[in-house]
Amino acid sequence: MTKSPVILARDVVKTYQVNAQTITALRGVSLSFAAGEYLAITGPSGSGKSTLLQLLGGLDLPTSGHLELMGTPIERLSDAQLADLRLRRVGFIFQRFHLMPVLSARENIELPLAEAGVRPAERTARALDLLAYVGLTARADHRATQLSGGEMQRVAIARALANRPALILADEPTGELDARTGAQILDLFDRLHADGTTLVVVTHDEHLAERAARRVHLLDGLVDRDEIARR
Amino acid sequence: MPALIAAALLAAALQSSPLPGVAVERRLAERFHVAVGDSLALTPRAESPTRWYRIEAIYQPRPDPATALRGEYQVRFHLPEIAGLLSAGDRVDRVAVATRTGIAADSAAFRLNQLAFGYQAYPSATIASESSQTFAVVSRFHRAIGLIAIMASAIFLLCIMLLKVEERRLDAAVMRMIGIGRLTIFKAFVLEVTFVAAIGSALGVGLAWAAGTITNLVYQRRFETALVFSYLTSDIILLGVGLSLGLGILVGAFAAARLVRTRPLALWRRAG
Amino acid sequence: MTWALVIRSLFRHPVRTALVVLGIAVAAALLLDMVMLSGGMERSFSRMLLSRGFQIRLSPRGTLPFDTEATIPGITPLLGRLHQDPDIAAAGPVVAASLHARVRDSLVTFVGYGIDPSSQGLYEVRSGDNLSSTDTTGLLISTPVAERTGWTIGDSVTLLGRLDPQSARAGIERTLVVRGVVRWLYDARGQRSLGANFRVVQRLGPFPDRDVASMVMIKVKTDLAVDRVAARIRSQHPGVEVNSVATLVRQFRARLVYFHQLSLILATISLVVGVLLVGTILTIAVNERAGEFAVLRAIGLRRARIVGLVMAEGAVLTAVGSVLGTGLGLVTARFLDRILTSFPGLPAAISFFVPAPDTTALAAIVILVAGVSAAAYPAYLAARAPIAQTLRADAE
Ligand SMILES: Nc1ncnc2c1ncn2[C@@H]1O[C@H](COP(=O)(O)OP(=O)(O)OP(=O)(O)O)[C@@H](O)[C@H]1O
Ligand SMILES: [Mg+2]
Repeated sequence: MTKSPVILARDVVKTYQVNAQTITALRGVSLSFAAGEYLAITGPSGSGKSTLLQLLGGLDLPTSGHLELMGTPIERLSDAQLADLRLRRVGFIFQRFHLMPVLSARENIELPLAEAGVRPAERTARALDLLAYVGLTARADHRATQLSGGEMQRVAIARALANRPALILADEPTGELDARTGAQILDLFDRLHADGTTLVVVTHDEHLAERAARRVHLLDGLVDRDEIARR
Repeated sequence: MPALIAAALLAAALQSSPLPGVAVERRLAERFHVAVGDSLALTPRAESPTRWYRIEAIYQPRPDPATALRGEYQVRFHLPEIAGLLSAGDRVDRVAVATRTGIAADSAAFRLNQLAFGYQAYPSATIASESSQTFAVVSRFHRAIGLIAIMASAIFLLCIMLLKVEERRLDAAVMRMIGIGRLTIFKAFVLEVTFVAAIGSALGVGLAWAAGTITNLVYQRRFETALVFSYLTSDIILLGVGLSLGLGILVGAFAAARLVRTRPLALWRRAG
Repeated sequence: MTWALVIRSLFRHPVRTALVVLGIAVAAALLLDMVMLSGGMERSFSRMLLSRGFQIRLSPRGTLPFDTEATIPGITPLLGRLHQDPDIAAAGPVVAASLHARVRDSLVTFVGYGIDPSSQGLYEVRSGDNLSSTDTTGLLISTPVAERTGWTIGDSVTLLGRLDPQSARAGIERTLVVRGVVRWLYDARGQRSLGANFRVVQRLGPFPDRDVASMVMIKVKTDLAVDRVAARIRSQHPGVEVNSVATLVRQFRARLVYFHQLSLILATISLVVGVLLVGTILTIAVNERAGEFAVLRAIGLRRARIVGLVMAEGAVLTAVGSVLGTGLGLVTARFLDRILTSFPGLPAAISFFVPAPDTTALAAIVILVAGVSAAAYPAYLAARAPIAQTLRADAE
């Protein structure tokens, strides 16, 4: 791999202060990966997977250590710059979908486009393309609350893809779905990977982890194993 | 009585001849720093000549809302003195008549009016009702404004109570799911709302009392009067407390009823 | 997109939103009424005083116009000197006296105004003719007079003056012809007033020194010169009270200080109610939707945009509320005005609540600004919440 890393983390520590107690979620994680990689982060509950993913996406700042997103050290980014980074370069997918309930499927996808300044006609077209990509053309004008879990997650994926991000971060994207629906999402991820998107997926799901080219196993806030799958 | 202008007020330079006596009201004495025994020059008009009087008494007039706000001062004369000052000759503005017991003021006034021109006799009750006309208007105005204020605060109350209950959506769902009966939950919420409304009402009465006290203090000083401007009567307290308690509990009960009627799962979902 | 989010979020709790809008509407209505009340009396008083363009009043020393029965002596030479002032366009004397007439069997009392028809600021002709300057036999009546007496234009009527209170015998009688029906600008509702030539009323009135006036109304050529002219008259004629309309309005205001303070207090209360309503509702809404705001931040909305969204909700609530409130306020103002104008003895031309575009706009803007600023705190809450933590809490 000769490309410059999308993410570079060195000795990243994250602690939380709960009342008088300090909880250490990450004890010094070092990790880097390049564009086009498909990475699965696994580990037991409480090992710090979600915490790491949030740091990688700039939703939170590390307590100490060095973290570079797309070549820029995170501490050099202002809050607004971080927001722009999340808007244009990173796409988030959550276990609980987190669509805006008052907007339709299409509008949910248009939201980050509108935010990025894309003109209405153009963003509607792109939203419809993305809905087609995730196979939901028929549900374009349904409110988020009128969709099933699998459908919501597909809309969420389309939303994450809206601004053609360099990096997709997903936290247990199949956690709330049954096996068959989950498999559909995994197929979609395969397609994204094939289309050249960089993917980082946190999961308990063995099937998902198996599909990723590289698996990082966390244990107690540290990287326990970092292995490239032999396919 | 025509307004008197105190043109020049001088502390007692000893006067040789005895001056006619007047009584002045306390506010005037305080304002111009004069005391019993001081002499006072009075004139009905600025350009008219002044006459000298000796202050024989200082008195506290009965608080009168009709005159309190005018910022005028009262001086009392012996009748011939003021007639002389005003060069009004043999005339008066008013004569008070007391009827023998058993004779109605109305019929006495009617007979007096038939007797001669030059005066008009009124029963005191009529005068009282006419002179309180202004205050009747003001009080009607206050009532109208009060109505609007009550509307605004009632809506505010409705909002808060509605939210107070809706806030407990998740609790309601949990309670329903662990098998607590609808009526029990409903009662619990209504009790809670009643409690909140009661505390609010008590605070409100306290606030009203404080505001009224401040109003009285400020206006009594400003107009130098003992008049009471704001009365917090038991009627008003009853109305305020009744309204807030009644409305509060009613809305709380309505919202609580809506909450316990919904299916627990739906509650759960909307809470999430 | 922003507006879709804002509006639909408000529609998620229709009852709640409707109540808030209604609450703001009532608060805005009260605010508008109080703004109207605080400026309205003065405005309508000043409009009434200036209705015929006379900016200065001379009255007997130490009195306000028509406050007492006192008179200004030596009026003819005074008028002569006033007419020589190059800044003065007109100087109209007015003398007021109680006049009487026998109507059928009873004695009716009127307020008699003696005026100079060529320069008067006291009435407007409704029907018939105005008097001419030299007409010493003509009479002007008002509608309440016509209703009480049945007099019509062209009638000859006998007026009695200087009535002896003991005998009810008139000291003087004069027969005049009704020329026109007028509206007296300063009369209370239903007040019965007559008008005749200035010299005629001087003779009919109880004035031992006949060359008197109750008041002189002065029209200055330009508004800019009013204060200068007033000061000049004051120094030349120390025996009279000189008041410009502006100073009269000031004195009027001092007498109505109560309404001023009431309007101030109630306006403040209504603002507080509005601010509290918007503030509480939005704070609760923001807390309920903390997760949604965290998601918006996660997908790339800046803090400022979150602030904007919440403020926009506040703005929509208050905007709709203040539009409704303006209508409501105008209606209630008419109702309140009807109550207050029933004050005994108040000139019919005075209103307490005067609707004007600028006060209406002022009240609407004030409540809008208050509503939007009330949204500032919840907006700050929403924008400041930590994203990761809120998302985690929301997923639980
Ligand atoms: N905001 C927070 N405040 C306090 N403690 C936190 C916070 N976020 C995470 N933690 C703690 O940090 C540790 C790591 O949490 P994290 O959510 O990253 O684990 P995880 O690997 O994602 O677990 P799971 O598989 O259950 O989702 C846990 O012990 C958790 O309790
Ligand atoms: Mg997790």
